[in-house]
Amino acid sequence: MTVTRREMLAATAATAAALAAPLAAPEAAQAAEAATVVPKFFTAPEFALVDELAELIIPADAQSPGARVAGVATYIDFRLAESLDTDQQAKWHSGLAAVETLSQELHGKAFLQGTPEQRLAVLTKMAAGEKDPKTPAEHFFQQLKGWTVRAYYTSKVGIHADQHYKGNVYQRGDFAGYDAK
Amino acid sequence: MTLVKTPPPLSQEVDLSKTYDAVVVGSGAAGGMAAHVLTEQGMNVLMLEAGKKLPIEQELRSMQWPYDHPRRGDAPPGYHSLSFNEYTIRTPPYAKGSTFKHVMSYVGGWGGSDYVKNILVDEKDHPYTGTKYAWVRARALGGKTNIWGRLALRLSDYDFKGKTHDGYGEDWPISYADIQPYYDKVDLYLGISGVKENLPHLPDSLFQRPNKLTFGEVKLREGLKKMGRVLTPYRAGVTTDGLKHNKYRSKCYGRGACDRRPGGCDIHAAFDSPTGLIYPAMDTGHLTIRTNSIAHEVLVDKNTGKARGIGFIDTTTRKSYEAKAKVVIVAASTLESARLLLLSRSPQHPNGIGNSSGHVGHNFCEHVMGPGVTGLVKDMIGKPPTLDDGRPGGFYIPRFRNLKDKQPGFVRGYGFEGGGGFSIFPGNAFGTAGFGANFKKDVRDHAGAFIGMGGFGEVLARYENYMDLDPEEKDAWGIPTLRFHYQFGDNEKKMCEDMVVAGREMFEQAGIEVVGTDDKMLTEGWSIHELGTARMGNDPKTSVVNQFQQSHDVKNLFVVDGSTHVSASCQNPTWTIMALAWRSCEYLAGEFKKGNL
Repeated sequence: MTVTRREMLAATAATAAALAAPLAAPEAAQAAEAATVVPKFFTAPEFALVDELAELIIPADAQSPGARVAGVATYIDFRLAESLDTDQQAKWHSGLAAVETLSQELHGKAFLQGTPEQRLAVLTKMAAGEKDPKTPAEHFFQQLKGWTVRAYYTSKVGIHADQHYKGNVYQRGDFAGYDAK
Repeated sequence: MTLVKTPPPLSQEVDLSKTYDAVVVGSGAAGGMAAHVLTEQGMNVLMLEAGKKLPIEQELRSMQWPYDHPRRGDAPPGYHSLSFNEYTIRTPPYAKGSTFKHVMSYVGGWGGSDYVKNILVDEKDHPYTGTKYAWVRARALGGKTNIWGRLALRLSDYDFKGKTHDGYGEDWPISYADIQPYYDKVDLYLGISGVKENLPHLPDSLFQRPNKLTFGEVKLREGLKKMGRVLTPYRAGVTTDGLKHNKYRSKCYGRGACDRRPGGCDIHAAFDSPTGLIYPAMDTGHLTIRTNSIAHEVLVDKNTGKARGIGFIDTTTRKSYEAKAKVVIVAASTLESARLLLLSRSPQHPNGIGNSSGHVGHNFCEHVMGPGVTGLVKDMIGKPPTLDDGRPGGFYIPRFRNLKDKQPGFVRGYGFEGGGGFSIFPGNAFGTAGFGANFKKDVRDHAGAFIGMGGFGEVLARYENYMDLDPEEKDAWGIPTLRFHYQFGDNEKKMCEDMVVAGREMFEQAGIEVVGTDDKMLTEGWSIHELGTARMGNDPKTSVVNQFQQSHDVKNLFVVDGSTHVSASCQNPTWTIMALAWRSCEYLAGEFKKGNL
């Protein structure tokens, strides 16, 4: 399919409309939406864990929604479900298990059972070895963050709401930037 | 302004019973140019392309939003792109024994592998052996011009007369004055964007509207001025003002996402051989194209020893055919052209056609890359985003070493390619530590504040760096593969060390904080600027073709691609490939009309 200029403008307008809706929706409704997703690769508890971890890594703020609304967990789940890389798949299962183990060690309860402060404490510990990961949880943090970053900043939310990307549209008037003098 | 949407011309029927005036092997920059020049001169040309004719706009989908692609641009499961580690740890053939269904070169791993999976070759079908080498090949009408980086630079007499200047290697049999009118023709016919700088070592082109610079790039340009060095907007083989004579290409309108790599330009503002050269040549009525045709032999007339055509295999039927022609033009890319000449053994040419010198496959040269520097432009932190990736590239810093000075560690020089500013994907997110609200704000605030550049250095042409045919290994069509005998030498290593030091110094001079340097040399071949292997020269004993890229041994055989370059220069080769091919094919047509071939 070749995108004509007219289709392109239509697509852009649709994008703007699509974005306006979730931005206005209350957070509870968004969370409920995420909970209705039937994961293809993760188990339901794993999916909920990935969804929460991703949102903690890239949370909603005044500028833009976070990883949850951007559908980061759904995207990761889709990619892993169709992946032929069994090593990588195994790493996700074991990585999420390591998060639970760490949570049990620190607070004696499952990650999602913890208070917001306790969840933050677990993630903080996981992120401590970001430059030079050693423990299973630290290794998993790298993997989780890499995928979250990739999924978020290639999403509608990431590109438009957060980054305010100006391109991929017909440019009118002057181009941005400076002449070489 | 409207976008040009002229469909490709209909292909003419291929008639293998007839003898064409010329057969051209390859449809990239060199083959396309040969077709353009020869058909303009009224010659009837048959072009053979090993790959398919792709519906290229559907492959490239340049305007597709990442989120409208199910895998955000990645190829489906079963595709694998070779990594730097694989090239480093292992030796070719890299795809041997791979459990993946398809294996692509490293270019597939840049984050847009789905857009190039049908353009790049499957490494499984196209093995090679020998020393480590990252060989990127595109088998499709237009070859690598479908996805090239578009930096379009001229060479100068610092290159053509390099030996005279510093004593190393060989001079070319031409000087800048010989090729300058043809650079002009290429500029005007294909369009090029840039700014005049009046540099003797990087001659100006006939430029269309230049790209703008970002704030950080201007800062670096100002800083370099104090050092007597130059940063110039990316000289891009892109038409920014349009081309009235070409109905297949639109002018660049700065829409953005140009740094999705590998990525072609589906409005064809960036030059590619099909819309720039081949379709207009078809419109003359003198060009016939046969795709899916893998040339494996230059056929020789037993009585005269001259070339009489090309033996090729059809990739769909796997049958062998002959294409007959009065002149044979090899333009299959540097390494494939050498391979084809070596494959063409006959009683008259026992070492391969055109190889009485024994130099075919030798004197290989290219560009070494890897070292670079990343900086932070503090003034840009927290600034609102601008559209900075609606440009074919950021900037180029021309060579500054060994022009007037003499470096103790190495001869020749290098340039830097780089860019700074916002893009569709905030690459700084990967390097930003931590998580949470601060992380997110950090990424946003710094998204346009980084500037980076990497060196491209001249690899010296050396006889001992060569490729020959592997006596055992064959490709999927039973054709012997190339075997590499090549590695970087001390000059390249010293040059790369200097790139890091000089890059850092330039950023510091410009008041840009250096936040990272890379001193790693990437695998041989990484620059995709392979050159040499059938070099030109005046002496038939030490060169393969003359100044018109005509075989010293076989007068109706021409090799018009990068394989004929005597030295690599540090300037990107595509524009020179096309200027040389234009000059040679003009000569060829003249000789043909005189009956001298």
